[in-house]
Amino acid sequence: MLGRRHLPRTLTIGSVVVLLIVVLAALGPWITPYATDAFAVRERLQAPSAAHWFGTDEFGRDVFSRVLAGAHYSLLMGFGATGISLLIGVPLGMLAAFHRGWVEELIMRGVDLLISIPPVLLGLLILATADPGLFKTIIAVGVVYVPIMTRLARAVSLSLLAEDFVDAARARGDGAVRILWREILPNAWPPIIVETSLRITFAILLGSALSFLGLGPQPPASEWGLMIAESRPFIEEAPWIGLAPGLCLCLLLVMVNIVGEGLRDLLDPRLQGRGHG
Amino acid sequence: MTAYILRRMLSVVAVVWAMTVLVFCIVHLLPGSVAHMILGEFATDDAIRLLEARLGLNDPLATQYWRWFSGLLRGDFGLSLTMERPAGPIILEALGRSAILAGISIVLVATIGIALGIHSAVNKGSPSDHALTLAQYFFIAVPEFFWCILAILLFAAWLGWLPATGYTPLAEGGLLGWGRHLVLPVATLVLGLIAHVSRMVRSSMLEALDSQYVLAARAKGLAERIVLYRHALPNALLPAITVLAVDVGLLIGGIVVVETVFAYPGLGRMLVYAIDNQDLPLMMGGMIVVTCVYALANLAADILYAVLNPRIRYGGAAT
Amino acid sequence: MADAKTPLLEIRDLSLRYATARGKVQALDKVSLALPRGRAMGLVGESGSGKSSLVLALLGLLGKGAELSSALAQFDGQDLRKTAAALRGRRIGMVFQDPSAVLNPTLTIGYQVAEPLIHHRGLAERAALARAVALLNEVGIARAEAVARSYPHQLSGGMKQRAVIATALACEPELLLLDEPTTALDVTVEAQILDLLDGLRRTRNVAMLLVSHNLGIVDRLCDDLTVLYAGRVVEQGRASEILQTPRHPYTRGLLAALPRADQGRLARLTPIPGGLPDLTRPDPGCNFRARCAFAEEACTAPQALDDKAGCQVRCHRADAVAAAPLPQPEPMAAARKEATGAPLLIAMEMSKSFRLGSAFSLTFSGGLPRLRRATEVVAVDDVSLHVARGEVLGLVGESGCGKSTLGRLVLRLLEANAGRLSLDGQVVPAVPGVEFRRRAQIVFQNPDSSLNPRQRVREALRWPLIRFGLADGAEADREVDRLLELVRLPASYGSRYPHQMSGGEKQRIGIARALASRPDFLVCDEAVSALDVSVQAAVLNLLSDLRERLGLAYLFISHDIGVIAHVATRIAVMYRGAIVEQGSAAQVLAPPYHPYTEALLSAVPLVGAKTRVRVRLMGDASTAPSSTGCRFAPRCPHRIGAICDSLPPPVRTSAQGHRIACHLPVETLAALPPALGRAA
Repeated sequence: MLGRRHLPRTLTIGSVVVLLIVVLAALGPWITPYATDAFAVRERLQAPSAAHWFGTDEFGRDVFSRVLAGAHYSLLMGFGATGISLLIGVPLGMLAAFHRGWVEELIMRGVDLLISIPPVLLGLLILATADPGLFKTIIAVGVVYVPIMTRLARAVSLSLLAEDFVDAARARGDGAVRILWREILPNAWPPIIVETSLRITFAILLGSALSFLGLGPQPPASEWGLMIAESRPFIEEAPWIGLAPGLCLCLLLVMVNIVGEGLRDLLDPRLQGRGHG
Repeated sequence: MTAYILRRMLSVVAVVWAMTVLVFCIVHLLPGSVAHMILGEFATDDAIRLLEARLGLNDPLATQYWRWFSGLLRGDFGLSLTMERPAGPIILEALGRSAILAGISIVLVATIGIALGIHSAVNKGSPSDHALTLAQYFFIAVPEFFWCILAILLFAAWLGWLPATGYTPLAEGGLLGWGRHLVLPVATLVLGLIAHVSRMVRSSMLEALDSQYVLAARAKGLAERIVLYRHALPNALLPAITVLAVDVGLLIGGIVVVETVFAYPGLGRMLVYAIDNQDLPLMMGGMIVVTCVYALANLAADILYAVLNPRIRYGGAAT
Repeated sequence: MADAKTPLLEIRDLSLRYATARGKVQALDKVSLALPRGRAMGLVGESGSGKSSLVLALLGLLGKGAELSSALAQFDGQDLRKTAAALRGRRIGMVFQDPSAVLNPTLTIGYQVAEPLIHHRGLAERAALARAVALLNEVGIARAEAVARSYPHQLSGGMKQRAVIATALACEPELLLLDEPTTALDVTVEAQILDLLDGLRRTRNVAMLLVSHNLGIVDRLCDDLTVLYAGRVVEQGRASEILQTPRHPYTRGLLAALPRADQGRLARLTPIPGGLPDLTRPDPGCNFRARCAFAEEACTAPQALDDKAGCQVRCHRADAVAAAPLPQPEPMAAARKEATGAPLLIAMEMSKSFRLGSAFSLTFSGGLPRLRRATEVVAVDDVSLHVARGEVLGLVGESGCGKSTLGRLVLRLLEANAGRLSLDGQVVPAVPGVEFRRRAQIVFQNPDSSLNPRQRVREALRWPLIRFGLADGAEADREVDRLLELVRLPASYGSRYPHQMSGGEKQRIGIARALASRPDFLVCDEAVSALDVSVQAAVLNLLSDLRERLGLAYLFISHDIGVIAHVATRIAVMYRGAIVEQGSAAQVLAPPYHPYTEALLSAVPLVGAKTRVRVRLMGDASTAPSSTGCRFAPRCPHRIGAICDSLPPPVRTSAQGHRIACHLPVETLAALPPALGRAA
């Protein structure tokens, strides 16, 4: 399916940029021009220059180094949290689809409950009582998106279970595991992948918002949301401290979003039917 | 339909009650004593015992829960630990200010978002549709707090047109003073949501325009205006209601961030304050109130959906 | 106004091309037709022939990207290309295929009918609504005022289509365009709608252009006929003449491929081999020649539409085609060897009901909340049947009668609420063993849904072999090749994915997969219903060959009594969850029969049977009966009286095993006229 269609240009560009950011984030801590925690009081609040591409902050730390070293936080929050919601939500949703009855009722009422709590509130609730940190932020954001993944996985599985080829498998007496593995999963992944890739944008957004509120990684971590929050007192004097991580975050988010939307256009069968007369 | 609405109301009650249990459990069951959390790591044992006695933390959990829950039912949210006064009025006052922010925002999001979505769908493939689609990619992805920083930098720091932070009550500052503090928060709140809503309306409108009933309306020889607004639009707006309800959830998230940045004394800022200062009664109360608001917003959306959708309004009984 | 001689609608050399991902498609190629006032013309062709595009082109409603050209397109002397927008809804009315999709779910029926009056005639809303009620009355809707106030989802399919027709008639058009107006409806409802349209023609003298794939419907309703193949008119003229003596090989092929209820079992249907030509590269010669039995060297030359005995035919061999005899039916008795041997599958007293919605729901009565158990619908009610080795039991009934549920019950794919099942004398438990699964298989209706889109054909066919331990390794590969050969597909198809095959080919793979485990019982659930007539014939032939070669027994489920009459040795007729009649094919297709069977047979549109007696039913299958009496009573034309509503009908069994569940005595039922028009 993927091979025959040629990729939309935006998807290609988006994927390349996201991949580049991933590589930079992975190498980040080793390729920074300055140590991220090197205080240099004499060089504080310097504007961007050849020596300091993004300037320096109130402690004289090199903002470019900090942004580079902080890239992995956003990616970990985005991919990690989405991964958690995928790993918990998809099996739960499939279980609900397979076991109509009280198992389904239990799972879906739980989902209804979680979904009726605003996402940020759920995140705040989980983080409010624990010592904040990267790992807990990832878990909090992941839990927020579990119900959405569960609903999606259930809906997809239910529609596939109604397909005749699944009945054909049942008429052969194939076991539940084989039906799941051979008939359901290969057909369920495209919509789930699409939703996942769109979710990553929201997970990064939520994660960085929580960090911004001080509930994510703690100083001196150079998480971008946190850096923006810390830059607020110097916004007039030294706007680059906040703008640099902010623009990087925007670039990442827009590109991840473009990849998600591109994948949706590519894989969503409802959209594929359009415009072919 | 009455039964449908009553059922929905019941589920609102259920959700809010379940939230009280959830909030209570998370606060009281997580490792570490509540008193420790309030007083910090270095509190003396005596201080902790004193606080535990004062707050009744040695009672069985069920008793504690009932004490708190029955208080909520009476409108008693307990005593704010940091401000030493009842949490209820504090929450209520903050809620009022946030409601202004949210109300203006949701009206703007609904009107502008729906209008742009319809415009895009009707002019599908035109330069303005392409431009709007690109803008949507961008505005959906950019976080509110970044808009906040930009807005403060541009309008407050450089241009000096609007105040960067704070709030002036209507009674003190008059309409102008009051409104000046609202412009930036509202503007930063709605950008992403307008993009989201217009995107959803565009696709549901396109779906409606692609439908057989629209083709049939054209075959009836109706004017394009009637086809669009009488036949396609009502069907396209039904999913938009659901999207708006979801966006109230996103809006609440945005409000927490925006109020914090603009030092706007609403419910969101209060919640962050309560969490930062471990003011548990304030935090728990605030969360319950936010859940209530969100549940009621969803209820309103469900009712509106039912009113506009004959399938729910009139059930399925065959004539 | 043009004079009376000029046709109401005339188009000449209308061509249509539109862009697709594969390139420009020539959807219509120089189509010409003329329709005089008050006459009805049928436009016939299979899917992809361009017939629906033609209708949209006439209305000027083709989407962007369609390139339309024509030498002439006139409606009553006006140029349609310029005035289509002003004519549609006013002087040209349109009826689409699926009334559920065509009616706007958010507007009342009355408003939708009144709308053209408000906008075209300038009527006030109140006056327009009153007129709408009158129109709804005219199209046979009882309690029209209540219906006018209701929304589409509250009406049945037949009622909705009547409302759509009323809308089309609102401004008293001179021309009605009908695009497959009855295809989405059940056969007894279809018959009502056809009667309605026929009546409207007479009372309103409205001209009709009827697009259909069904030759029987065209014969019932139309004076003239245009046959479209792959965008070209291949034959045009008087409908009765063309259907009597088709002169184009394609028209002839359609007739020869059609299973007919009134002719019983033909020795064989004659399918049309191959599929539609590639429309992105139109063939300058005859574009049917690749599939044509009469093809010769000269067919590569462009074919003109020539006049032959009053008809236009696009074939230089028209005379030869007309002279060749159509396949003749076998005498029915000879064709049906009675089943031999003991019953293979026996189902006793099977029942199944479904829950609507979730198990418990909260309701409010008198303001008090109550937890209520969900209502249940009985889909299959106490049904018994048996199928012998080598026998085809045809199960016929309208949508929602429970026939598919019954098919799944006898395979234990659905859990029955009650009932016993045995195969070859062995009781089949609720969770059957491997051997039952091997021996009892199923072929589905929808070729797109029956194959896993992400499995190659070879994988799909190999697995049952391995699953049941029939073959593995190289042996399994040989067996897959043999299965493909069995369904007449080349071995190279093994490496294909479902989306690389046509509907008919997918259906063959579905059959091969069911046969892989060497079953002896097969449920065919509407196995040919999604296919075009020409392809359907090939699959039906294949199924009957397989039955003879492999000694298979089928439970053949279909709503199409023509197909059932063609394949079945015995027939069971189902209505609202119960079997109302059961017997050999000859018994069921001739009196005595159940009043419902009579109506069903009478409703089938047949080619060349205009004069037969018509029995029409009121309402549709959703008309609810009383809980104790005969379920068919509310619609029964032969209803006796209160007894039908109060007592369940007795099952009258003849010496030959023909069973009818009816209060009427067999003698009365035997005296009913033959519904198929001749003694079958």
